Amino acid sequence: MTFKRIPRVGIGGPVGSGKTMLIEQFVPLLSQIGYRIAIISNDVVSKEDADRMRRNLASERGLMPESLVIGLATGGCPHTAVREDPSMNLSVVEDIESAHNQELDLIIIESGGDNITTTFSPALADYFIYIIDVAGGDKYPRKRGLGIENCDLLVINKIDLAPHVGADLKIMERDATLIRKNKPFVFVNCKTGEGIKEVADNIVKNVLFELPPKTTTTKN
Amino acid sequence: MNTRFSNKIDVIDNSNMNQHVDDDDDVTTSLDPLVDEVSMLQLGDSFFPTGMYTTSSGLETLFYDKRIKTKQEIIEFITVCLQYQIGPADCAALSNAYDFAKEENISKIIEIDHILFSMKLIKEIREASIRSGRQFLNCLLSFVPDNTLISLYYNSIKNKAANGIYPVALALASNSLNIKKERACLILLYGFTVSITGAALRLGMIQHIEGQQIIHELKPIMTTVLNNNIKRHFSHLWQFSPSIDLVQMKHERMDSKMFIT
Repeated sequence: MTFKRIPRVGIGGPVGSGKTMLIEQFVPLLSQIGYRIAIISNDVVSKEDADRMRRNLASERGLMPESLVIGLATGGCPHTAVREDPSMNLSVVEDIESAHNQELDLIIIESGGDNITTTFSPALADYFIYIIDVAGGDKYPRKRGLGIENCDLLVINKIDLAPHVGADLKIMERDATLIRKNKPFVFVNCKTGEGIKEVADNIVKNVLFELPPKTTTTKN
Repeated sequence: MNTRFSNKIDVIDNSNMNQHVDDDDDVTTSLDPLVDEVSMLQLGDSFFPTGMYTTSSGLETLFYDKRIKTKQEIIEFITVCLQYQIGPADCAALSNAYDFAKEENISKIIEIDHILFSMKLIKEIREASIRSGRQFLNCLLSFVPDNTLISLYYNSIKNKAANGIYPVALALASNSLNIKKERACLILLYGFTVSITGAALRLGMIQHIEGQQIIHELKPIMTTVLNNNIKRHFSHLWQFSPSIDLVQMKHERMDSKMFIT
């Protein structure tokens, strides 16, 4: 219940914006450095995301024990589970911290898909990544919303779709710069991995403070 | 201190710090009993962080299996849960833990914690109850930091000597805030009723007005369950709802679901 806090990254964003795939892309980069990671996935109506990450990252690639990819049902209230009443998430985090305090470097908490007002309770997450996608239109950043405005890192995904949906990335860049007041944002394509290194670098710099991994014996 | 606010702060300090023993029922209360009533509202409010909105007690399975469709059937489901699970087990455990809290008997409190934990047959429900209880205490300790008994119980959980099951945590919290025992039991019964009614609402089984009608109709059930169990000795805790146990086990294994069982 009271253990040394393991750094935590919260990832929020609308349904289908690419939260799970973002995690699947940057976790291997952090694992290559030697960081050991646990994932809590808040699903709205299924365990599909947790099952997929467990299969892709743990079972097939051995980047973490299967037991460290944990699915959590949220009673249909994804934003409540990470902000107003994060009790269940905090309880799972505490279980992880008590059992893996010596070797674990990072805990990732994926919110269930939600709307643009999603934010994480500071009691739950130290660093908040919000992800949107180009397919929602180039108006997305200027629509604001707490998630887009206040997150520590805004990720704009599916940039390959821009010409197909009539979205202008320059407009998105201009609006994101204006609305986020110099806080960082990054364009990515989670399908190809484009831009993902920048996300990983942000986590290493701003969450892990470029400290070395607690252990360097990660299975690869 | 900013003098503009000093008088106001003095008043608040007085009402919180001074306590007396109520002659009627030997319950310690604040000099301003309304403070105790507000404490009851605080612990009973779904805004208090316990995570209980994530559970449906198996209602989700009954909904998908089309075994419950109407408002009346939801009322009957909650009634059975209250009468055969929550009342004789959780509510009675809370009552006993409350009495032992007044005696500052931590070993008996831990004994009740273990008994109730062992009675919860469904793993997800068992785990949800201790997750709620522990987080409930975490929050409580942020504004009631100096209660020796709660600290002892909290440390017992930390040392894995106790589980932190929710009704016991609620009993200790209520005692520390001068909430009377019967009101603490009502918080438990009302909180359970609201969490299942809320689940029905989010599953689309009812609309919001019907939710309030359900709670209103269940008020006499809550008080009856309270009266039937508040004096139950901890050696006589029981629950018997095999059909609902099976539903909850089935729910626990569902691949696609909104709720922890």
